[in-house]
Amino acid sequence: MKTFDHYDAHSLDEALGLLANRCGKARINAGGTDLLGLLKDGVLPRYPELIVNIKTIPGLGYIEEDGERLRIGALARLCELAGSKLLRERYAVLCEAAGAVAGPQIRNVATVGGNLCQDVRCWYYRYPAHLGGTMECARKGRGPCFAIKGDNRYHAILGGRKCFAVCPSDLAVAFAALGGQMTIVSPRGERKIAVGDFYSPLGNGLADDEIVKEIDVAKAFGPGRQRFLKFTVRKPIDFAIVSVAAVTEEKNGVFANARIAIGGVAPGPFRAEKAEEKLIGKKPSEALAAEAAEAAVEGARPLSKNGWKIEVAKALITRVIGS
Amino acid sequence: MSRENIESRNEPVAGEKLIELRVNSQVYVLRVGRGPGELDPAHTLAFTLRETLGLTGTKVSCDKGACGGCTVLREAEAVLSCMLLTIECGGKEITTIEGLKDAKTGALDPLQQSFIDHSAFQCGYCTPGMIMSSKALLTANPSPAEEEIKEALSGNFCRCISQYQVVEAVKAVSGKKG
Repeated sequence: MKTFDHYDAHSLDEALGLLANRCGKARINAGGTDLLGLLKDGVLPRYPELIVNIKTIPGLGYIEEDGERLRIGALARLCELAGSKLLRERYAVLCEAAGAVAGPQIRNVATVGGNLCQDVRCWYYRYPAHLGGTMECARKGRGPCFAIKGDNRYHAILGGRKCFAVCPSDLAVAFAALGGQMTIVSPRGERKIAVGDFYSPLGNGLADDEIVKEIDVAKAFGPGRQRFLKFTVRKPIDFAIVSVAAVTEEKNGVFANARIAIGGVAPGPFRAEKAEEKLIGKKPSEALAAEAAEAAVEGARPLSKNGWKIEVAKALITRVIGS
Repeated sequence: MSRENIESRNEPVAGEKLIELRVNSQVYVLRVGRGPGELDPAHTLAFTLRETLGLTGTKVSCDKGACGGCTVLREAEAVLSCMLLTIECGGKEITTIEGLKDAKTGALDPLQQSFIDHSAFQCGYCTPGMIMSSKALLTANPSPAEEEIKEALSGNFCRCISQYQVVEAVKAVSGKKG
């Protein structure tokens, strides 16, 4: 890793000040499990001059319910989400998604804010600079998307444009199904954005001088059923090929509410609204689950080698809804 | 908070900074800088342990957080030392494989002995990481079920397929043999 300056921030204001002063040449570091990988491989188009440690900011690691909302501080660690009694009882989908991330050692360090803001895993984008030079691609601001003509077996089947990398975050999928929103702070003040709207094909919606402070979720409707399923090549320490988070509620034997998000298929978590519509007002059954799965991937446009991901997505949705 | 306010704040002053690193109950004071023997802010904990402190028991395989070879304990929790900046570990108690043996008698930890008794390794490169992950598990949960052992070790990879013996070795010291 090339060298950089390092500073422990003790308040959000202090961290924001440093980011603003360095005009895009400073990066914040929380858990560091994604950032250190990017720095070691020289992936970022602008190598940071300054790393601002935000783990030293007190009071940003909470997981609490406050009236009608669940609030999670950006520095809450994934192991804390996976082990939280509150989440296990009321927001099981978050608990399962957090527990599905990487392995225990990474969950002991990685944070919820970092999980949502992590960079994509596209193997062209991540190609290490020390092995013959970095690959200049559309995501880095110049060059083509190598996945279009290259090996795109793990790339996007929905919503790709200019860049076909998929959002690797498991928590983003769970938050999208729950309708979670992020609070982002900057020198200009605070703003809120839905987790589902945070991602775009060429990067996430976080500007150079912004920091994610909190993620909040409105109380899930009724005592619904929540499930998260993730398909990976190897079970632990792997990113989702496809993941599905579903939050459903049944009343009088029929689906009254349903929210389904699919991960690993698009630049962000993909809300399968057509599948949700299929479910409302119908009795749960295997056949209905299969029908919803078919509707969920309607409009998918696979690249040359990733059509199989459609079948994986359908299988996961059938399992999540049908079981 | 106004923009003027933020811009008037001072940048970090480049001056002497010392990091107090506690490894295996010993305190090492490292000067932050870019000279020989100094702690570069970009040094990972794995690098510092091996290259600066000479504690080469911690192994680095992938250096990308994917194999678990460099697992150490930070405040009794298993973490990957290749994915931590040393400069951010000041004041935390770090335990490496060297720290498991009894400091006075030199006797091995029962977990280490159990790995030997069960031949829970082949080439041995992943073993320090395996033992540290198991240690973290047994500290938090002295009698884990087999599934819990497998879950705790899911972040450690062995390419020689020693995992079956590893699970046996951990079971043997967990007081739940068989």
